[in-house]
Amino acid sequence: MSGPLFLQSLILGVLLGGLYALLAAGLTLYFGIMRVVMIAHSAFLILAAYLAWWFNRETGLDPMLSLVVTVPVFFLAGFAMQRLLVSRLKPLTLTMMSVLLTFAIALIIEGALGFIFTGTQRRIQLPYAGDSLDVFGAQVPVVKLVAFVLAAFALLSLYLLLKYTRFGRALRATIQHPEAARLVGIDTDRTAGYGFGLGLATAAIGGTALSLDATIYPSLHWHWIGPLMAIIVVGGLGSIPGAAIAAMLLGISQSLLQIPLGATWAQTVFYVALFATLMFRPQGFFGGRLAQRF
Amino acid sequence: MHVTHSRRRRAMALVALAATAGLALSACSAGDDGGSGGGGDDDPIVIGVSLPLTGDFSEPGKGVERGYEAWAEIVNEQGGLLGRQVELKILDDQSNADRVVSDYESLIAQDGVDLVFGPFSTRLVVPSARVAQEYGMLFVEPAGAAAEVFEQGFENLFYAAPAVADDHYNYLADYLLSLPEGERPKTAAVAAMDDPFAQGTAYGLRDKLEEGGVEILVDEVYPPNTTDFSVIAAKIAESNADVVIGGSQYQDGVNLIIALQQLDYQPKVAAFSTAPTNPEFAAAIGNQTEGILSPTGWSPTASFPSNVEFVEKYTEIFGNPPAEDEANAYTTGQVVAAAVEAVGCAEQGECQQQLIDWLHENTVDTVVGPLSWDEAGRPSGAHLIQQWVGGEIKIVLPEDAKEADFIYPKPAW
Repeated sequence: MSGPLFLQSLILGVLLGGLYALLAAGLTLYFGIMRVVMIAHSAFLILAAYLAWWFNRETGLDPMLSLVVTVPVFFLAGFAMQRLLVSRLKPLTLTMMSVLLTFAIALIIEGALGFIFTGTQRRIQLPYAGDSLDVFGAQVPVVKLVAFVLAAFALLSLYLLLKYTRFGRALRATIQHPEAARLVGIDTDRTAGYGFGLGLATAAIGGTALSLDATIYPSLHWHWIGPLMAIIVVGGLGSIPGAAIAAMLLGISQSLLQIPLGATWAQTVFYVALFATLMFRPQGFFGGRLAQRF
Repeated sequence: MHVTHSRRRRAMALVALAATAGLALSACSAGDDGGSGGGGDDDPIVIGVSLPLTGDFSEPGKGVERGYEAWAEIVNEQGGLLGRQVELKILDDQSNADRVVSDYESLIAQDGVDLVFGPFSTRLVVPSARVAQEYGMLFVEPAGAAAEVFEQGFENLFYAAPAVADDHYNYLADYLLSLPEGERPKTAAVAAMDDPFAQGTAYGLRDKLEEGGVEILVDEVYPPNTTDFSVIAAKIAESNADVVIGGSQYQDGVNLIIALQQLDYQPKVAAFSTAPTNPEFAAAIGNQTEGILSPTGWSPTASFPSNVEFVEKYTEIFGNPPAEDEANAYTTGQVVAAAVEAVGCAEQGECQQQLIDWLHENTVDTVVGPLSWDEAGRPSGAHLIQQWVGGEIKIVLPEDAKEADFIYPKPAW
């Protein structure tokens, strides 16, 4: 492996890992709050990507402006979904039934996208799609950098929100011990609803970031859900920093392993990491006190 | 599940009415559901087809269905075959290889169809061709270009397109290797999807260039679900090969090209299968298309006489111009029709062998040009080579069919 190729792949891996980190953050949040396995998370990503594409096609404006609308709408949709659907599931079988429920939602979104926008593969045309910056002889694609910055910014905001605001404390209390949270006066149902909304809002941002540099089609979400699920297990279910670190490490590994192994085998890194985690440290490698209890 | 279309049903009802009014029905084959028995001179010629109208191949499957329907409509408008109307009986095999076998069994044995047309894709062509072979039926198919189709020992199979996958790039390989020593490309990089068709096209060109002394620097295979091409692009960019060959379908080709542009890799030749002929392609890669090459079995602008008519009538019937799947299906219809007209029969039994023999010995004029076949049913031609020139995709090779001059080396993207 030559030096320049290594540097180039490392940079591409970091950029990819940043996007994975944001996409996985929402997924781990749902599980943290309610033990919900949200199969439809990546379907919402693709939905947001389609909305960004559609917004760009109709208005000609930068697709990132669509966030002004999609983030609040997704937040409300998440809140509604939690209050009206997920909270109706029996607590005893919640995790399992949530797989069925969200699987159905994923199929509905996929079907609706196919129905409205057809199965034709779409791509946003950006004036800077093929541009790149030169860094020590390696090329940093501008769109990937923009997506990375968007992801990093969203993740940082999410972290600050959870760490330093009153709502964040209430949400973390709900995650850690719902009963105790209720005892100190937190409305855990409402908080869980907001938490779910927050998760979907990250999907809106993640999907828009994805749409900048991807060709999208309705069934694309199936390619994303597997790696994302693996990332949150490796990172420790419910831990946002864990998900971010695991996403970065796996993203970089996937990029670097492609050089000696080729694309087919490099993909398996997610599943190898998943098996290793389940065998040696089922609660996840980072954070993840939660998973120990379940 | 039987898929019958209301248009067909109306046509069938009319024909049935005419038949009952005009003649006493002769004995019909078992299981016929529309009163359209075999035998009488005015009865329609029934053609059985099974297509993947649902499941994995439903998009191209529906394209093939439209092509067959357009063919039947155009033939009937001009008085039918041998003076008889043609009627399609199309079943849905759900993209399932077991299903396609039972579909053709029942079409041939129970419904007693007079002729069959092939389904879509190698995976379904092979098992259905075997059924047709057992019944001694002529089997012309619109899709199934991979090598394995022709290695099964079928004597009744004909592929209704100009070339098998390996030969798609023949004109390009010949052209590049005929360049003077100083201009000839010396190195090439290949990235192909793990798919028999995509690999067939890319490896056909790769092997011919390698034989001609071009060094292959990168040879990557990626699984069909790959969406991130940045590292594959990084490997190709680092090799700085003169030629880049993409064994692509659509999204992979687009994503790979953009990833290559992002890394500022500038090849002298960029050849991608399938993707560049897609109507969305130019917009998807930001109109940086100049000089990108793609082989094509059919072009809406090709001047073969029946092609002009096909494009015009198809557009009239469906409201939009046909694509390659539709054209390949139409070609299948033309090939069978030519044999039927020449031999003068269309029924099960001895007639089928006569049709097969006739096709082995003759050349048929179609919308993709004149076609002839070897013993295994491989068409003997090569694909046209198209290149993006001035914002449009045009035929550049071979010389006698070209619409524009070949651009070499490719301008920067």
